[in-house]
Amino acid sequence: MSVVTELRKTARGAKTAPSRRGLRNGDGKSAAIFLAPWFLGLGLITIGPMIASGYLSFTDYNLLQPPEWIGLENYTRLFEDPRLLNSLRVTFTYVFTAVPLQLLAALALALILDRGLKGLPFYRSVLYLPSLLGGSVAVAILWRQVFGIDGLVNEFLALFGIQGKGWVSDPETALWTLVLLHIWTFGAPMIIFLAGLRQIPEMYYEAAAIDGAGVVRKFRSITLPLLTPIIFFNLVLQVIGAFQSFTQAFVVSGGTGGPADSTMFYTLYLYQKGFTAFDMGYASAMAWLLVLIVAVMTLINFFASKFWVFYDD
Amino acid sequence: MRRPRSSLRVGALLAVAALALTACAGSEEPAAEATSSGPPAPVEIRFSWWGSDTRHELTQQVLDKFTEKYPHITVVPDYTDWNSYFDKLGTSVAGGDAPDVITQEERFLNDYASRGVLADLNELGVDTSKIDENVLQSGTIDDALYGVATGVNAYAIIADPAAFATAGVEMPDDTTWTWDDYVEIANEISAKTGKTIYGAQDYGFNEPGFSIFARQRGESLYTDDHKLGYDEKTLAEWWQYSLDLQAGGGAPDAAKTVEVDAGGPEQSLVGTGTGAMAWFWTNQLTAITNASGKELTLLRVPGESEEERTGMYFKPAMYYSVSAKSEHPEESALLVDFLLNDPAAGEILLSDRGLPANTEVRAAVQDKFSPTDKQAAEFLADLEDEIVDGPVVPPVGAGQVAEITRRINQEVLFGRLSPADAAKQYTLEVEAAIGG
Repeated sequence: MSVVTELRKTARGAKTAPSRRGLRNGDGKSAAIFLAPWFLGLGLITIGPMIASGYLSFTDYNLLQPPEWIGLENYTRLFEDPRLLNSLRVTFTYVFTAVPLQLLAALALALILDRGLKGLPFYRSVLYLPSLLGGSVAVAILWRQVFGIDGLVNEFLALFGIQGKGWVSDPETALWTLVLLHIWTFGAPMIIFLAGLRQIPEMYYEAAAIDGAGVVRKFRSITLPLLTPIIFFNLVLQVIGAFQSFTQAFVVSGGTGGPADSTMFYTLYLYQKGFTAFDMGYASAMAWLLVLIVAVMTLINFFASKFWVFYDD
Repeated sequence: MRRPRSSLRVGALLAVAALALTACAGSEEPAAEATSSGPPAPVEIRFSWWGSDTRHELTQQVLDKFTEKYPHITVVPDYTDWNSYFDKLGTSVAGGDAPDVITQEERFLNDYASRGVLADLNELGVDTSKIDENVLQSGTIDDALYGVATGVNAYAIIADPAAFATAGVEMPDDTTWTWDDYVEIANEISAKTGKTIYGAQDYGFNEPGFSIFARQRGESLYTDDHKLGYDEKTLAEWWQYSLDLQAGGGAPDAAKTVEVDAGGPEQSLVGTGTGAMAWFWTNQLTAITNASGKELTLLRVPGESEEERTGMYFKPAMYYSVSAKSEHPEESALLVDFLLNDPAAGEILLSDRGLPANTEVRAAVQDKFSPTDKQAAEFLADLEDEIVDGPVVPPVGAGQVAEITRRINQEVLFGRLSPADAAKQYTLEVEAAIGG
């Protein structure tokens, strides 16, 4: 069993509940009232702007004067923009390194925490803390200091006689400081992994122990297969999230995506086009390309999942 | 049983809410009454500017004086460092939340004015009778006054004589030194101090420096018909000097340069006592002197007598402008008027935003100038005869050039683009920015 199957069950349960009680007249109305804030938010903050951005992507719009219809020009420009290509390269590098490494870290810590440590809630909270902080501006600023030329990292390296460098201000290493920052925020997937581990029935391990299976064997034959739905769930969420990363790069590079465009995430470039270069039409087209990219990546993820995700039911 | 109870609770909540609402209304009423009779209604306006800590403190003092004079106007300060100022401004203007009084810069004024963001200050009745005609001209586009220049300054070299002394290197004669001298002297200082003091901070991140370099060669960054006016070879040469500095140790390595650049004037090499020379605007002298705690000197940039002509020029330091969408244009105009014309404001700001544009204020406060202000004023006065002309007003789109310059300069410093390739790409990108 797993979180996903559990979720499915609750979903089923929810479906059957009203039929048992019968739908009373007032229930529909109060349901509507309780859902209204969510629908309002969805409409005003998500769908409305999406429609607007869809329209704007076909216009020349500088934010201050009314948009002007130009058809597909923004979309054709996408393919002639070398900086856009670079931003895609940076973003894909980031996603393909930061996400797997972060999931590995999360899984490793979840496994350690799952061994019935005393004071688990405390450790769980402490390890989750970076996730709360990691996306914040304050930590991104801290990062800039820690990895600066006179930063903590170099001071630490100096203890071993290693001459550090300006990690954040060197295009060779700037992106990797952001990857590290992302890995550090392993809290959310860790919590989900923990919940998943708790769902694996103890009896499997007992049976395996009787058969003489060691720790590694148990992990490979029981934990990992039964955890694959959770890994998949985390993977999909984290990939989507990582494609949309913005704050860290924005703050660490002072909004420039520098040095020399080495931390120019796709979203950061989109932001610059929209709000610094006043090219909101082009930025909107970029946003839709991102939607497409994320959709394709998610589809690939779902398709690939058939070959490695194991559902225990 | 459940329903009536919960509806009772809702009823009680509503009653409390209603009470709270009426209570609020009750407390607001007297204020509303007061407005109709005596003093004017309280008004809140927002004033945005960029700069160093010194400027933030001074400006806050001026705003306090303003509120003393007009107690009904509250000015909300809205300031950041230079690097993020125009990002923030662009976002808030686009979001319909423009500050009422906006500090503008030469390269961006045209962008904002041509898009209807700024109000015509003549129409708002800002008193400009005491402002120099040339200064007013620099903020006028199509007969509308979109910004009043706060004062003038010049891009120059701020040097630390103590650093020269420590290195045992003689200060150059800035009227005759060449670009080769500049590189040589910087390299020598770094070498003699074992890089505890760098000779110079990289200059390539800011295109006014190139503008001067081009003007010295009879070229220009922009032409008056909004095109580019330089030879790519000239631009490549400018970056080559920068690489020579890096290679010779006169300037720090690329990563350190990027980090120092991000820190602003106070964190600059000269500001932290770890550099001998750097390119800055003359009105930054006070902030950098305060940061370094040493007496600094202004020098002409190298090469002023090397080629065809001099390249340095007077630039309007920044402009005060008013948002066209301000809800309180009159009060905003009052603030601009106060900043420009009131001696009380002039006494505090002195030359922080350039030498005061209001000639009467300038004369009145000149005696109160701090030593650094006097230094800058004398330096500018000395330049007066040497400066041939001013560069043209940057075209629409010039705001983006700041970002392009910084980025391509980094490509050069990290050796990812040769100066020649960088020049080619720069031309391409700047043409796209000012053409579109």
